[in-house]
Amino acid sequence: MSLRALVNGYGFLGRRVARALASGKVPGVKLVAVARSTGYIHRPGGLTLEELEGDIASLEGFVEGSPISLLEDGKVDLLIELTPTNLPTGEPALTHIKTALSRGIDVVTANKAPIALAYRELTELSRSTGALLLFEGTVGGGIPLVSLRRFCLRGDEVLSIRGILNGTTNYILSRMHFEGLTFELALREAQNLGIAERDPTLDIEGYDTALKLLILANSVMGLNRRLEDVRITGISRVTADAVSLAKEAGLAVKLIGSVSPDGHLTVAPRLVKLNDPICVHGTLNAVTFRLRTAGDLTLIGEGAGEPTVTSILNDVWEVVTVRGRLTGARGT
Amino acid sequence: MPMKDICRDLTASAMPPVRVRLTCALVDRPGTLLRTLEQIALAGGNIISIVHSRESITSGYVPVSINVEFPDAQSLERARRGIESVGVPVIGAESLEKSLRTVIVLGSGELGDLIRAVEGLGLKIVDASVRGGGSELTARLTLEVPEGAAGHDLMRRLEEVAADRGYLLLSEV
Repeated sequence: MSLRALVNGYGFLGRRVARALASGKVPGVKLVAVARSTGYIHRPGGLTLEELEGDIASLEGFVEGSPISLLEDGKVDLLIELTPTNLPTGEPALTHIKTALSRGIDVVTANKAPIALAYRELTELSRSTGALLLFEGTVGGGIPLVSLRRFCLRGDEVLSIRGILNGTTNYILSRMHFEGLTFELALREAQNLGIAERDPTLDIEGYDTALKLLILANSVMGLNRRLEDVRITGISRVTADAVSLAKEAGLAVKLIGSVSPDGHLTVAPRLVKLNDPICVHGTLNAVTFRLRTAGDLTLIGEGAGEPTVTSILNDVWEVVTVRGRLTGARGT
Repeated sequence: MPMKDICRDLTASAMPPVRVRLTCALVDRPGTLLRTLEQIALAGGNIISIVHSRESITSGYVPVSINVEFPDAQSLERARRGIESVGVPVIGAESLEKSLRTVIVLGSGELGDLIRAVEGLGLKIVDASVRGGGSELTARLTLEVPEGAAGHDLMRRLEEVAADRGYLLLSEV
């Protein structure tokens, strides 16, 4: 019997994940429900690709309101929580995830806020009920960081982390570096291209990076830190003169999130040597894990958008594998 | 000599020397300093200078700072153990190596004030480049910073000093 999945959140990621599941990309999973902000559609027999073509609100059987009853009534086995990040509460995603975990329903999410704000509480809940909580899509888009630690680095210890975890600020700083743009012009360009939000505060003031850093510190390094433990400085004060002075000295200004060996979490614009492997440009992300035995390990990739679907689907595969319901097909 | 030993010798000779300031607490008694220096020499250390602060005598102990160049870190460790084996506590071993670090400082203020603040921490500015006019200052400073924990601590204090004055300080990762 297939796992019955609910995709909660029907934006950029939700649509792509729902379509992937409806087209059978992950064997052993049946997409039975999709929810957006105004309501949800529930098809116990499974939603088809055709049904996902248009606006789900126009489908017969669309129910207005929250899909939380599907979790409460045990109508799904897997919650894929893809609602937008909401600070400072993490809601409504936090309530959805808690409701699912407390009923033994597995959770895959790409929503940073609940994992960053309530990591300890959610992992304890997950442990107590045996439900899985997977969140690779919350950090680094398609770059496997959390699962890399879980599956490939179990015999080593992560001593420190540093990296570029936000594509929007990296795009702005890269345009300032290569084209000599002012911060304001580069931001406006990023907004016009859809890379920056209309309200870019979360990105440019460093909060998005701080949330991701917090997730890595707690999950990859096993720390117990909270958002108020992170020293956060954004990039809005970085001037074209500063970027140009850095460039003359063979350096680039980058918004760096770092966890030091003594457990201090910092987000700040820093100077990075142009030949440092984390000195990537455009919307790319790069993260270096410093390992006790293996030394430095750096991963580079797109930190948002379509590549995040890869992380989400891999987590869904992991749920299917753990639940032992893989129906024959194998991943490539 | 077997090839294994030759390789070990070559590796050893390729290791960089270690320059440190050893601070020892000597009992104010003739011969104690000599016994300490003997242990350094036995470990292969080359003494650069000695500061014997007899005026800082506390509870019968005199702090002595000895700047030494050792061929490698193992020699330093041998010397430290040797000194302690003759009954002299080693109360500090601070690296004398310096590295150059670049910082960029942004904010409204006077360059002179910023330089005084940096130098007040004991950091030496070896190069400076300034942009901007009026009250907005953007300065790139190249600083000589001690290696190791002492340098790390100084950079952290520099960040605090800059923040206190309302500057944004960009430091190297």
